[in-house]
Amino acid sequence: MATTSAGYPRHAVEPPIGRFGRLWRRALVGVPLFLLALWTFIPFLVTISVSLKSRVETFANLGLIPEDFTINAYREVLTDPTFTSAFFNSLVVGAGTAILTTIIGLPAAYAFARFNFRGRHLLLLFTLLPRLVPTIGILVPIYRLAVETNMLDRRITLVIVYTGMLAPLAVWLMVGFFQQIPRDIEEAADVDGANLWQRIRYIVLPLAAPALITIAVLAFREAWNEFTLVLVLTTTPETRTLPFALFKLGQSEGISNFPGEAAFAIITVLPFIFVYTRIEKYVVAGLTAGSSK
Amino acid sequence: MTAVRDRLRRQPEGGREQEPKTGRQLGQHPATPYIFSAPAILAVTAILAFPVLAGIYESLFRAPELGRPEEWVGIQNYTDLFTDPDFWNSLYRSAIFVTGSLIVGTSLGLFFAFALFRAVGRLRFMRAATLAPYLISNVAAAVMFRIIFNGDLGVVNSFLGWFGIDGPAWLADRTWAMTVVIFTQVWTDLPLTILLLLGGLMTIDTSYLDAALVDGASAWQRARYLTIPLLAPQLVISTVWLSYSTLTGLGVVLALTGGGPLGSTEIMPMHMYNIAFRSLKFNEALALATFILVLNALLTLLYVKVARRFEVEI
Repeated sequence: MATTSAGYPRHAVEPPIGRFGRLWRRALVGVPLFLLALWTFIPFLVTISVSLKSRVETFANLGLIPEDFTINAYREVLTDPTFTSAFFNSLVVGAGTAILTTIIGLPAAYAFARFNFRGRHLLLLFTLLPRLVPTIGILVPIYRLAVETNMLDRRITLVIVYTGMLAPLAVWLMVGFFQQIPRDIEEAADVDGANLWQRIRYIVLPLAAPALITIAVLAFREAWNEFTLVLVLTTTPETRTLPFALFKLGQSEGISNFPGEAAFAIITVLPFIFVYTRIEKYVVAGLTAGSSK
Repeated sequence: MTAVRDRLRRQPEGGREQEPKTGRQLGQHPATPYIFSAPAILAVTAILAFPVLAGIYESLFRAPELGRPEEWVGIQNYTDLFTDPDFWNSLYRSAIFVTGSLIVGTSLGLFFAFALFRAVGRLRFMRAATLAPYLISNVAAAVMFRIIFNGDLGVVNSFLGWFGIDGPAWLADRTWAMTVVIFTQVWTDLPLTILLLLGGLMTIDTSYLDAALVDGASAWQRARYLTIPLLAPQLVISTVWLSYSTLTGLGVVLALTGGGPLGSTEIMPMHMYNIAFRSLKFNEALALATFILVLNALLTLLYVKVARRFEVEI
């Protein structure tokens, strides 16, 4: 930052406009952005590069461009039964969490936003405050609870735990969203004789679609990526999700199979990034809402 | 608490003053709101509220041997914890981890938020792209950083090689492993920090900056005396959040080093995990978990107090 005024009087308002000045200004905007792009994408690019090399080449050629371009690593990962079962589990747990979170979040948020009932503030506080509990605080208790209730090593356990962890966020986002839908529309429908179910089905749900998508995506992301609880709550490959399978791959003895690990990582990351780019504006809005008052 | 009240009172834009109607007024059964909110309240209570409270309570018990019923031991789990050198090692490692991540994360977050703020035309695309590290799992991030920081084939050491520096075997080195852990953690946490600070920058009234420009303030002076003070609330929130994330977060360390080499990255959550799932001393682990929760609450209070001293309104 300090170098930005180099070459100019200390109190110069802006650099003099000229060919050099214009170049200078563009660099002032462009260089930090370039650094941001480097910071964000170098890990992805390096990993993709390694995933396209052979095992031998990873040690022989340190450059970013593979000399012996090969997709063997991807082929190995995709035909590996550990990967396919983990991928399936991730899909099931992710979809289950997304669906369950929206199903329990939607009516709760609707009630808090639309109805005036005794204990409304207190109950909302009860729903939102546990959001502050970190995973480390529930790790052992949840594990012991799962052991006692014979729920260890089941996909449904993961779905339920993730749903509980995400419910505060879902309610928080949707209450804010419902507050912004004018009440008049529903009142008009009420006057026209629509009952509660009809109002929700034909007015609230279509209007709430962006919020529902946001929550479903955030819930899916959590279930797709969460690692610590999977490590603790699952014991067999039949229930383990992708992060666990990738972790196991890295733990294996002998010379590291870097292309394999890299390819595995890229495959778990790419589908979600692709989905995200389609609906990015909802997600960004969802993340920034509530982060600042 | 105020945030909760605000959220319930928020008005639609241009809307008239509205208080929600009671169920009865809208022709519903009075129990409807309770039935609607019950599943969410139940889920949150069963998964978050109850376990965390039960965990704190059970940290006062202990089984004399594995498999025997637990007995009340008072604060003995805590006194044992505080006399264990491994605990003090983990506290020390956590202190380095939290402080390091806060310094690296906040400075990079500020720098990149300013960068994005100036990128008017390309803002949307760049902001979306910036979020990529947030979308991937800690394990995938760990794999990426293990490759980047690999002693033999990593780009970091090739880069250092250009300057004639012989880089260490980062993750196998007791001194340098923590550096890699901090950078990996910051890399995954930074998107949210940037979004938060960028949101703050966008709410700053530009007339202040215009006035400063007219008065001849340099870019550095504008940042130092205007933008950063005006950004203080967001800086406090991002500090609270980064500190929470690094003090209680387990995923990155677990996936990257597992606490090694030789305990040099064994931060408190990692130590808790080892006590619980390697030594199977669950109640002792709960004592450490409780300690982490209390420390996190105290740190949050501290940040807010310090911010108040500098007259930051949060």
